[in-house]
Amino acid sequence: MKRRNLLAGTAAVAAAPLVAVHAQKPVVVRWWYHFDDPKASPAALVADFERANPGITVQAENIPWGGGADYDTRLYTSIIAGNAPDAAMVKFNNLTRLLEMEALAPLDRLLAGWAGRADISDDLWNLHKAPDGKAYYLPVQYVVLYLYCRQDWFAEKGLKLPVSFDDFQTAAMALTGGERWGFGLRGGAGGHDHWCSFVLGGGARMVKGGLVSPAALAANRWFIGLHTERHVFPPSAPNDGFQQIIANMKAGRTAMTIHHIGSANDMVAALGDKITAVPVPRGPQGQGWTSFGDGSNALLAQGKNQEAAWKWISYLSTGPANVAFNRLSGQVTVTKSGAATWDVQPKRFVEATVNSLPIAATLPSTPQTADFTRTVWPQTTQKALLGQITADDMMAIFEKHYFG
Amino acid sequence: MRLGSPALPWLLLAPALAATVLLVLVPVGETVWLSLHDVILFRPRVRPFVGLGNYVAVLGDALFWESLGHSVVWVVAAVSLQFGLGLCTALLLNRTFAWRAVARALVIVPWALPSVIIGLVWTWMLDFNLGLVNQLGVRWGLLEAPIAWLARPDTAMAAVILAVVWQGFPFFAVTLLAGLQAIPREHYEAAEIDGAGVFAAFVNVTLPGLAPVIATSLLLRMIWVSNSLDLILVMTGGGPGTSTHTLPLYAFLKAWSGANYGYGSALAVVLTVLLLAVVIGYAVRAGREVRA
Repeated sequence: MKRRNLLAGTAAVAAAPLVAVHAQKPVVVRWWYHFDDPKASPAALVADFERANPGITVQAENIPWGGGADYDTRLYTSIIAGNAPDAAMVKFNNLTRLLEMEALAPLDRLLAGWAGRADISDDLWNLHKAPDGKAYYLPVQYVVLYLYCRQDWFAEKGLKLPVSFDDFQTAAMALTGGERWGFGLRGGAGGHDHWCSFVLGGGARMVKGGLVSPAALAANRWFIGLHTERHVFPPSAPNDGFQQIIANMKAGRTAMTIHHIGSANDMVAALGDKITAVPVPRGPQGQGWTSFGDGSNALLAQGKNQEAAWKWISYLSTGPANVAFNRLSGQVTVTKSGAATWDVQPKRFVEATVNSLPIAATLPSTPQTADFTRTVWPQTTQKALLGQITADDMMAIFEKHYFG
Repeated sequence: MRLGSPALPWLLLAPALAATVLLVLVPVGETVWLSLHDVILFRPRVRPFVGLGNYVAVLGDALFWESLGHSVVWVVAAVSLQFGLGLCTALLLNRTFAWRAVARALVIVPWALPSVIIGLVWTWMLDFNLGLVNQLGVRWGLLEAPIAWLARPDTAMAAVILAVVWQGFPFFAVTLLAGLQAIPREHYEAAEIDGAGVFAAFVNVTLPGLAPVIATSLLLRMIWVSNSLDLILVMTGGGPGTSTHTLPLYAFLKAWSGANYGYGSALAVVLTVLLLAVVIGYAVRAGREVRA
């Protein structure tokens, strides 16, 4: 008995340093992120967080974006392989898929006790609500798409910056000529945002029958006609992507295009005061639609360090840290305190962003949306722009894709 | 183990065979297995067995047939143009001229560049508004107006083929150059004595001498080009519309972007079966060379 006690005591003494070492071993939080600028690094934010939270180490992993498809597919496969990160940046259009995979941990309990919650506006919380009413996403950045305009050309022609579709068409036609086009359409991948502004803003609805209603068909005919009849888009528009629409605007080839504040500093560097931004124009009935570009963090359900991961993602959405984060991402802070002193981009672009919020929306959070934006929209729209199918055929394909 | 033991070759081959089974046969088997199921990536708990359902759907899929047609155009045009250009380059580099060593080194550059870089370079060179091709074409009077090469269904395929020809011709140039240098000088001297001119020497000495190299390099390149999708993905994404949609790109988009691994796997298996004809041709030829 004594011998057994002695052995047990010896084992306990021997194990003590191990226990102590184990207790001190830092918790590693694996976090996946993506910034548009590959040179941007969150290392300073990580260091700041780790100083304030000894015992937690953040392993930030920059995941290739690939138009969203690469990032999302890597996230799905990591979840299926059981190797998901503890937390990851996510977008609203893959929420339904992630919920279907039961991959997300609800944040409601954590948010209830989080002091930073009130510093994020109710508008943003409402936009991030899941279909089941729970909160899974913690907003960390956002952008709203607006219309870039060459205000010097508008002034030369005595045109007013567009508010309605009529204004837009008048300006686009007046500013088209020679080697200059009225509007730089993004007809390649990611261009659905442009289409949404004109067709969902013109009367189409993302409900059964809403994409083939008379108003929807009329709006789409008008949109396609801007290219096929009025020729206000460059001939390259069916294949133009993000790089092309920005380069064309900066090179003085297009008078207007749609993008967000993330490109504002780049535009100003090239064009100075010649460029400004306004909310996208509104449709005939006064309604409008612009794409809300969300960016959130989520906790993955299979993450082993959820408490530490929550500390990290809630830190990123808090006051000064969120401002620093958005200096890196080139987007806009989600905090009210940060917005009050926001000076990352010139004020006129911030105002255009804020003034666009009333018409900001997202495509429905259904499993069809990801395939729509990546494949169905570009293929179908390009065919309509090239006259291979009619504008009405295009809408029938979209209706079938979403609603069968 | 004795040197003459029949088991020795198998023992020596065992590491390579194990790697082939693990890295090739297992993924192929997994792909075939996936193709028999309805596998949607974001529905990991539901993957019903559908038998040949995906294959039946492929046969009735208009986009599959369109992509197959584009693949045939892509492979035939790309490989034949690469071969033609590569052969001309090899013949030039086989002659003696100043800076020949530099030219031989430079010609390999397109082959050494990653496909994504080549895709981006050609995308911007062919850009409608800012591209070099349109700028020079208009300035030199070759074009009346800039052309949206990548946004027109009648020029997009030609544009991506141009890029892949530029990328791939050095492979033929270098391979055929090696073949040319292996043809004995005496054969040309004998042809000259027999009164053969340059063309006759090319037809009766050069081509027969290069035949084994040509056959092997054509077969290899056909397999590579058939499988490749990176250049098209970068330059057009399969567009405009579906005018540059090839079969591997379709399989990739279905699986990677559409998250439909069942259907995407079926497309990949169909592509593999079609390519087997070429692969078997290559294997038979390689076997014959080994026996010779």
